[in-house]
Amino acid sequence: MNLRAADLPSGQTPHLNAWWLHLLRNRPAAISAVFVLLALFLALAGPPIYQRLLPDSQQRIRDGVYQNYDSINAGPSADHWLGADYLGRDTLTRLLVAVRVSLLVALVVESLNIVLGGVLGLLAGYFGGWIDMLISRAADMLFAFPGLLLAILISAVFGSAAREYYGGMGRLLLVAGALSLVSWPLMARLVRGETLSIKSRDFVTASQGLGASDFQVIFKHLLPNVAWLIAVAATLDVAGVIVNEATLSLLGLGIEEPGASLGLMIFRAAGKIESYPLQVFLPALAITALVLAFSFLGDGLRDAFDPRSR
Amino acid sequence: MWNTISRRILSLVFVLFSVTFLTFVVSYLAPGDPILNMMGGRQDPVRYAFLRHLYGLDKPWVLQYLTYVGNLARGNLGYSFKYPERPVWELIATGVPVSLQLGLLALVFSISVGVLAGVLAALWQNTWRDTAIMSVMLALYSVPSFVIIPLAWAIDLALYRAGLPSLPVAGWGKPEQAILPVFVLAAANVGFIARLMRNSMLQVMREDFIRTARAKGLPWRITIRRHVLRNALLPLLTVLGPATAFLVTGAFVVENLFAIPGVGYLAVQSIGQRDYPVIQATTLLLALAVVIMNLLTDLAYTIADPRVRAE
Repeated sequence: MNLRAADLPSGQTPHLNAWWLHLLRNRPAAISAVFVLLALFLALAGPPIYQRLLPDSQQRIRDGVYQNYDSINAGPSADHWLGADYLGRDTLTRLLVAVRVSLLVALVVESLNIVLGGVLGLLAGYFGGWIDMLISRAADMLFAFPGLLLAILISAVFGSAAREYYGGMGRLLLVAGALSLVSWPLMARLVRGETLSIKSRDFVTASQGLGASDFQVIFKHLLPNVAWLIAVAATLDVAGVIVNEATLSLLGLGIEEPGASLGLMIFRAAGKIESYPLQVFLPALAITALVLAFSFLGDGLRDAFDPRSR
Repeated sequence: MWNTISRRILSLVFVLFSVTFLTFVVSYLAPGDPILNMMGGRQDPVRYAFLRHLYGLDKPWVLQYLTYVGNLARGNLGYSFKYPERPVWELIATGVPVSLQLGLLALVFSISVGVLAGVLAALWQNTWRDTAIMSVMLALYSVPSFVIIPLAWAIDLALYRAGLPSLPVAGWGKPEQAILPVFVLAAANVGFIARLMRNSMLQVMREDFIRTARAKGLPWRITIRRHVLRNALLPLLTVLGPATAFLVTGAFVVENLFAIPGVGYLAVQSIGQRDYPVIQATTLLLALAVVIMNLLTDLAYTIADPRVRAE
């Protein structure tokens, strides 16, 4: 608890029991962590719980697809706590499903990001030479495409095929795949840099001297020392991924009707903001809160793990 | 300096290769037979062969790539699938000046407002005004454009309702139609540039030569203008590349929500018709715009900064 950054030798990661204490003492990060957990819980368990709390006549709204023609563009009521959209679909249910989609896309992207970016970065940093050359050039190629452009291109070209063969889930996975192509080069670059600086430390040389194989050195000695960096980079990346997924869906390149996406919800309701402001503001609020929460959480994690950034 | 420039041009070649190669690979792997699609249900082997040849799809992929690059070098962005034998360029030509105008206006706006906000925040460092400016900048930077747009619309509509002057929310051509889109497109960049400018100012203000200038009795105002600003503006050149990248992605959203007939709008329209060459050409053009911006800022930096020049 009394461990401070200044007490640590520079470059040393604080002892494990200290990082979450640091995180908890950072108020925005702690609140964000709670918010993220809450969003995760609501996205998974929210719709069924919500359904139990509704009157019997509204039992079918659970999937967020059922259209109740009596409540088109309805305001908040006992039947629809946050109202219903232009097709009479329950807004709260769709909001929860959309957050679930956001988090699911983020989960897939970050899994790919961690596996691809993390492993390739470790390999490039540890082996150097032609392996480094190959991986770094591949990352540079993807960096050449600014921002979301490559993801836009890929989703546009493969979108209809993904829908035809694999349905809505196919679209979701395509979006996640396209977005991970945008994410992993940065992860690889960060991990490679950190690996380079750790590789020359004595404990690595010692384990190599004791006969450890490259595989053992990378995964038993290097990986634990770059794990914090991977966790921080992935958390910070989530904020961007959530916005990017919403952007793609809004452009008609990502999640499609009847699926729910925060970007799609905003896009559909934006033209009628004057009459039904709630239908725009709720998803807008949800996405802003998610983005801010992951940014603060990522910053907090970085400060907790990396004494240099404090 | 020439060393730096030649290294820069070498990396430019790599970047150009990457952008064209990736665009090509995606289109090469595109599912379905575009020629069959184009011919509808007609059975006409001669026309099929002709179209396959016209689009160069009968060649091995290396040759296809080289043809693609060769055509690009001659200004040919490929042919539309939707309207056979019509060059893609014809379809997006009308959008290019619109997007260019929108992008340049947004760039100028984001630099001027961002720099101003950053400088003021740095001069008022650690006062409530600094906190206020930087909070607004953080919000502009982190709130996505498709959240800002409906908010702007709501405010605009409220103004209209109240009989106060309001702005048009769609279309392109009149100056007042540009105000909202330019503001929204620039918002993220304003926040980004302001934060950078503030840091850059604060860093320069701590330098020894500033203390020297103050010690020899130079008034604060002149020190800021002659010494701090000049040096603090220099790193700003390097963000023009990323700033353009921001604008390029943002243009897709802004053009579509504000119904502005730029390339982003036309490209998204073409996706609905499965006219992939249009979206390919558009992404390529936009990527090239960013590449060129990066090159220009790097060259400008090399020329402007004597330390880099001397290398």
